[in-house]
Amino acid sequence: MRTFRWSRELTLVVLLTCLMAAASVLEPKFVTVRAQTLLATHLWELALVAIPMLLIVITAGIDLSVGSIVALSAVSFGLMFERNVPPVVAVALTVIIGTMLGGLNGWFVTKMKVHPLLVTLATLAAYRGMAEGISTARAISGYPDWLLSALQGPTPVVIFVLVALGTHLVMTRTYFGRWVLAIGTEENVSRFSRIPVDRVKLWLYGFSGLVCGIAAILLVARNNTAKADMASGLELDAITAVVLGGASIHGGKGRVTGLVLGLILIHETREFVSWHWKQNELNLVVIGSLLILTVLLENIAEIRKNRKPQPVNPASAKP
Amino acid sequence: MKNLFALCALAIVLVGCSGGDAAKSESPTDKPGSSAASESKQITVAMLPKKKGVPYFTSCSEGAMEAAKELGNVELIYDGPTSGDAADAVKLIDQWTAQGVDVIAVSPNDPAVLGPAMKRARDAGIKVLTWDADADAANREFLVNQATPEEIGNSLVDAMAKDLGGDSATGEVAIVTASLTAANQNEWIKFMKVRLEKYPGLKLIATKPSNEDQKLAFSVTQDLMKVYPNLKGVFAISSVAFPGAAEAVKQAGKAGKVLVTGLSTPNDMKTYVKEDVVKSVILWNTKDLGYLTVFAARELVDGKLKAGSTTLAAGRLGEKKVVGDNVMLGGTITFNKENIDQFDF
Repeated sequence: MRTFRWSRELTLVVLLTCLMAAASVLEPKFVTVRAQTLLATHLWELALVAIPMLLIVITAGIDLSVGSIVALSAVSFGLMFERNVPPVVAVALTVIIGTMLGGLNGWFVTKMKVHPLLVTLATLAAYRGMAEGISTARAISGYPDWLLSALQGPTPVVIFVLVALGTHLVMTRTYFGRWVLAIGTEENVSRFSRIPVDRVKLWLYGFSGLVCGIAAILLVARNNTAKADMASGLELDAITAVVLGGASIHGGKGRVTGLVLGLILIHETREFVSWHWKQNELNLVVIGSLLILTVLLENIAEIRKNRKPQPVNPASAKP
Repeated sequence: MKNLFALCALAIVLVGCSGGDAAKSESPTDKPGSSAASESKQITVAMLPKKKGVPYFTSCSEGAMEAAKELGNVELIYDGPTSGDAADAVKLIDQWTAQGVDVIAVSPNDPAVLGPAMKRARDAGIKVLTWDADADAANREFLVNQATPEEIGNSLVDAMAKDLGGDSATGEVAIVTASLTAANQNEWIKFMKVRLEKYPGLKLIATKPSNEDQKLAFSVTQDLMKVYPNLKGVFAISSVAFPGAAEAVKQAGKAGKVLVTGLSTPNDMKTYVKEDVVKSVILWNTKDLGYLTVFAARELVDGKLKAGSTTLAAGRLGEKKVVGDNVMLGGTITFNKENIDQFDF
């Protein structure tokens, strides 16, 4: 521990520990396995969607359309189901639809050279509108119990762990991971270094769509309903988790480990605030404060470190 | 300095662990003999509105708080999604289930979405009620029902008759309904027609749909006034049709000559009431609805309200009828020029 380095992960662990300590004193029931299992059911769609969001943010991009892709995929799934498409086929097609919607974002970003913020702001509205249009804004319910139970309980957890672990390995062990980081750090240099920048980006937006497709199916199963207004605001939650997890919105920085901790912190904070104070609307304020607190805590640590007459290692700022 | 941080973290972890242990040893004593219905037992009732912060539901919550205070042994949680998002409502229900509250009273904004969460709550041994709006009967024990179609029908007709001169009221009246297939409205119309027989001077000359479209309600009412120049009253019996019809009368300059009545919250119709376009606005008593819900929750835990019960003792409301799995609030209130300013929702 001689070369102790203050990282975002550590900040998050400290905050999380503080929170759970406070919770165990104030609300003993909150820190039981039973409560946590029940509360965790609402986390997985957000957690899944946040992973590709992290990669996109690392490339200095953004995907605002995730909530709308989830809604449009969910509604497509519902409509297919209503028309007696076999559930397994409907699941597969939904994931494909999600991937295509994400891919379209990627196509605009890479081929049309439109800024991702603009592209996905447009598709945020367009996909949501399409979802409302094709479903005529009604709720599509009535899925068989076996399908619902197959997609709940441990299934989302397993999917999340696989996606998160896979992404972590890709980011730390492969060329692709290094390309993603390089693109976010210096896109032009990356292009000159023969990194297939556009192809990487296209893949990432497609990946985002694919994960949204999966999240859509899980969300439909959990709610027993497909509706066009589902998952609205999901993009903001995902971006918050990504930033809280230590990714830089300017690109080039971010880790899956940080994101996972950020997700857990957001989730626990939210659930605890609403559990303890019983004021649902407090949540928004608290999440905002949390984001500021995290950044502040880290900046203080950084300033303290820099004040010491030690040889500052500039590389320590980068993963 | 680094060590200081590490030390802090360590201390917190230790505190956290010991706190966790305490929690485990406490939890079994939290629910002592929950099966035995001890009346003095403190219970927690969680009440979920469709949307938090809406005047209508805030007014319901005031009644609920009053009941909780009066009973003294009920801790009331009133919380709901400010967005009206069903997914947020599900989160709250799950959270209350995890907390192990005694009763969850739900006004479902989307019965299909909330259903599974309500079922999870029931599976965990929590009593589940619905109020204001119903969900799948399998997912709740009782519905606290604000008003029967008969009462609504009667109140509407009585109010119109009163405004047109009491028992001897005369004139042509028309109904502007939601759509011709709307189940609620058709029930009300059925009872309205029965009640109209009590007033031989009132003649129902037309029933027109407005398809939940305020503009259509507006033009339908305009047409009615043209076709039936002697029209004296319009029942606009959907929340959308009511302001539409009132606006048509107002713009035709027939305020006071053609009366409009219907169901609405007072704030929505206040201006029309003050301009004499509308003399009476009918609604069930929202405060009493919240009040009754808390009493129903209490009696449900005490085992007094159970399948087969026919009455429920509800504090200042007295005995309330229980019909099947419906606890009936009954009674409507009429807002008019004299009292409408006392209500703010």
